[in-house]
Amino acid sequence: MVGRIRLAGLIATSLVIFLPSFALAQDINFGVSPSKIRIDNLPPGESTEFDLAIHNQDEVTRVFSLSSSEPPEERRSEGRTEFPDDSWISFSRQQLTLDAGCRANVTVTVAIPPEQEWAGKKWETWLGVTAESTDVLGAKLYVRLLVSTKPAVGGKSNIGLIAGIAAAIVLLSYGSYYYLRRRAKAR
Amino acid sequence: MKTLITSIVAGVLLALIFSLPALAQDTGQITITMTGANEISISLDKTQWPLGDVAADTEYDTSPAIEWCTLTIGGNCNVNIFIVGDDAEWVDTPAAYKWTLSTDGTNGEDIYGLWFRISGDTTRGYVPITKTEGEFWPYAGGSGSSLAPGDTKQFGLRLLTPTYFVGERQMQTQITISAVAA
Repeated sequence: MVGRIRLAGLIATSLVIFLPSFALAQDINFGVSPSKIRIDNLPPGESTEFDLAIHNQDEVTRVFSLSSSEPPEERRSEGRTEFPDDSWISFSRQQLTLDAGCRANVTVTVAIPPEQEWAGKKWETWLGVTAESTDVLGAKLYVRLLVSTKPAVGGKSNIGLIAGIAAAIVLLSYGSYYYLRRRAKAR
Repeated sequence: MKTLITSIVAGVLLALIFSLPALAQDTGQITITMTGANEISISLDKTQWPLGDVAADTEYDTSPAIEWCTLTIGGNCNVNIFIVGDDAEWVDTPAAYKWTLSTDGTNGEDIYGLWFRISGDTTRGYVPITKTEGEFWPYAGGSGSSLAPGDTKQFGLRLLTPTYFVGERQMQTQITISAVAA
């Protein structure tokens, strides 16, 4: 039976693959702006948002879907590490339909959890916009999203303050001692 | 007295020098920088490849072989282009039967190969398309740079059917061309 099926597989080779779609257009043409977004100084526990504009430059109505994806290390910008969790990024619409030549905005929200372990980080993730199609060739555009979180408040900044106060105390003590000593000598 | 005043002033100044940058950080605002009004955009002038009936263990090329589709860079920023493939699924019941996309362009039982070739790319020739996003243009070791608005690349596809497959089933797959700002 197995042999027969295998044989059948080899002989009955009529098979339609890569089904042609019945779409009128045989091309894909669309754009997304901006191509790169940089968020700086985002404190853990806070969120921010921005708009992505999607432009259907085709002559037919198209459906676009949005997602975030992690680029391989070698494709990330210098000094950037992997974005820890895609669920911190949300889209006002995960999918939208655009008529020919039309443009629409999608709001993207980036929310960082409150834990201090996320302070002082520099991440990169890519936001993908895909033109949905059943054709054999599809297209996707990535927007680079660079996120830098605010440095920890209780760490680095307090060290500077404490060092300054300590230096001031040393100087004041030395000044007082020197002043009192000179005063005593004068008497 | 003069020494005391001088040391007080110096101490206060020193404390300020150390602490001001730290305090300034605490009052920083969240900034969002959109890189200009840069738009990333690509177009493909052909997306369908209706092959019809195919035989096992056979290669099929698009026609014309390596100038089948033209990729054009639009927008106003330079881009790097990638390509990724996927398994081919039975149209009627996708979960029931598929051809697995090979990791190196070769074929096997229910395993098929996909390749692309860019016109003018004599260095690489046909390059396997896998389920991991691979470099389309530029590529490691090549002399090419990222593509600028207005640039075009013509390319073609090659299919290598499985050595064995279940016949009379319509299969469908998708190859995705993607772009990111360089």
